[in-house]
Amino acid sequence: METITEQRSLHLFAPVGKAAHSFFEHLGRYFSINWWMLRNIANAKEYSRNILHQMVTIGNHSIPIVLFVSFFVGMVTAVQSSYQLYDWIPRAVVGALVTKSVLLELVPLLSALVLAGKVGATITAEIGTMRVTEQIDALESLAFDPISFLITPRVIAGIIMFPILVIFGDAVAILGGMFGASSIAGIPSEVFVDGMKSSFRTYDAFFGIIKGTFFGYIITSVACYQGYRVQGGSEGVGRATMNTVVLTCLAVVVMDFILASVLL
Amino acid sequence: MIVLTNIRKSFGDKQVHTGVELTVNDRETTVILGKSGGGKSVLLKMIIGLIKPDTGSILVDGKEVTTMSFKQLQRLRFKFGFLFQGAALFDSMTVGENIELALRRHSDYTQAEIHEKMHYALHLVKLENVEHLMPSSLSGGMKKRVGLARAIALTPKYMLYDEPTTGLDVETADGINLLINELKRELGVTSIVVTHDVHSAFVVGDRFGIFEQGRFIARGTKEEIRSSSDENVRKYIESEIQT
Repeated sequence: METITEQRSLHLFAPVGKAAHSFFEHLGRYFSINWWMLRNIANAKEYSRNILHQMVTIGNHSIPIVLFVSFFVGMVTAVQSSYQLYDWIPRAVVGALVTKSVLLELVPLLSALVLAGKVGATITAEIGTMRVTEQIDALESLAFDPISFLITPRVIAGIIMFPILVIFGDAVAILGGMFGASSIAGIPSEVFVDGMKSSFRTYDAFFGIIKGTFFGYIITSVACYQGYRVQGGSEGVGRATMNTVVLTCLAVVVMDFILASVLL
Repeated sequence: MIVLTNIRKSFGDKQVHTGVELTVNDRETTVILGKSGGGKSVLLKMIIGLIKPDTGSILVDGKEVTTMSFKQLQRLRFKFGFLFQGAALFDSMTVGENIELALRRHSDYTQAEIHEKMHYALHLVKLENVEHLMPSSLSGGMKKRVGLARAIALTPKYMLYDEPTTGLDVETADGINLLINELKRELGVTSIVVTHDVHSAFVVGDRFGIFEQGRFIARGTKEEIRSSSDENVRKYIESEIQT
């Protein structure tokens, strides 16, 4: 009887053990790719054309969506702040609140979540398709280092372009906030700007840019890893792409918390 | 010369190689014949170090491949051209860029010389004026030819062909077979051809290995294979007669 109970316990714990084994295996492989990237970072200059190409793909092509999201985030923050603080405190506080919120949290986080879907999924699908169609094997057979050729340029481009997108997003979000405050909440632009000026600290903007850098790294590196390790044809590419979106979103919110805890 | 000794390889529970022995002589075309999914392509990838065997030895020109560092493997790969089953062309690059990629990276040629080499490689595979096309606009046969042009651009000593005629109509497949023979004549390359197409095998091969259940069950020249009385070998010969 006891043996059966023990066996049942084993059956219960087996999937947990398997999942833990798989998690640590992936984590180890992810870090080993990152380590390889770092060790061979000098090779990146040989692939500067790839880096520029990826900067255009990741940066230029993402600007419209980041600006769109940022503008509405700014407007919504202004309108809701105004609603929540109505009659309690001076209206200029809305300007201060919108500026702080978008610089510190809303633009970096929401841009990263949007780009996790757009940039992350694209990278995984591209590299994953190259894996299943043997293009990565072909690169290796031509004596290329596929990590330096495919992954490093994407990660460097992400690290450079995400903070730039955040800077643009910050500017547009504040404009959106000002527009929302004046057109819907009835707060004059001068009052909004006064509030913004009174509370602005350069470090706040800098903090958002640091977040953008980390988010850029985590999204592109996880997406590249997922694509690089694809197995099982087009179904595998689909699965990896979905994993990328889920994992990068989770990683971004966790990193957001860590950065806020450490840097603020 | 390439020598494989006692190669064993498993993927999970599935053992795909159970003690493979193979010797490939210089300037000969060795054909590995066997069923699809039997581990033949894995053998080719092992020879250039893309996949490591669990045990066994792979010697290329007397140097052990299985213990090579990444840098040593990169140097080894300069000696090889690899035609992949689906051609594996880089779909974000034009035909010309596909062929020029390795030349730009690994040679000191000028821009004009690289262009010239690219055109020569295309000429060898009987393609003209396609360098500006994207791989997605090519037919299956053209893709294989471009894959071949890319593989020979750095004038390799060894050519590895993974199912070169699979998925092609008879006429196009015959064209590829002729190309393989021409490249051997023109460039003097040593080749290994992995295929399950028996007709193609006997057109291009000098020596043959019948690969079944993870090892070679027969090896020899065309005459030796054709005169074999082994039932497992006979089924390949008979399938050629039927086609």
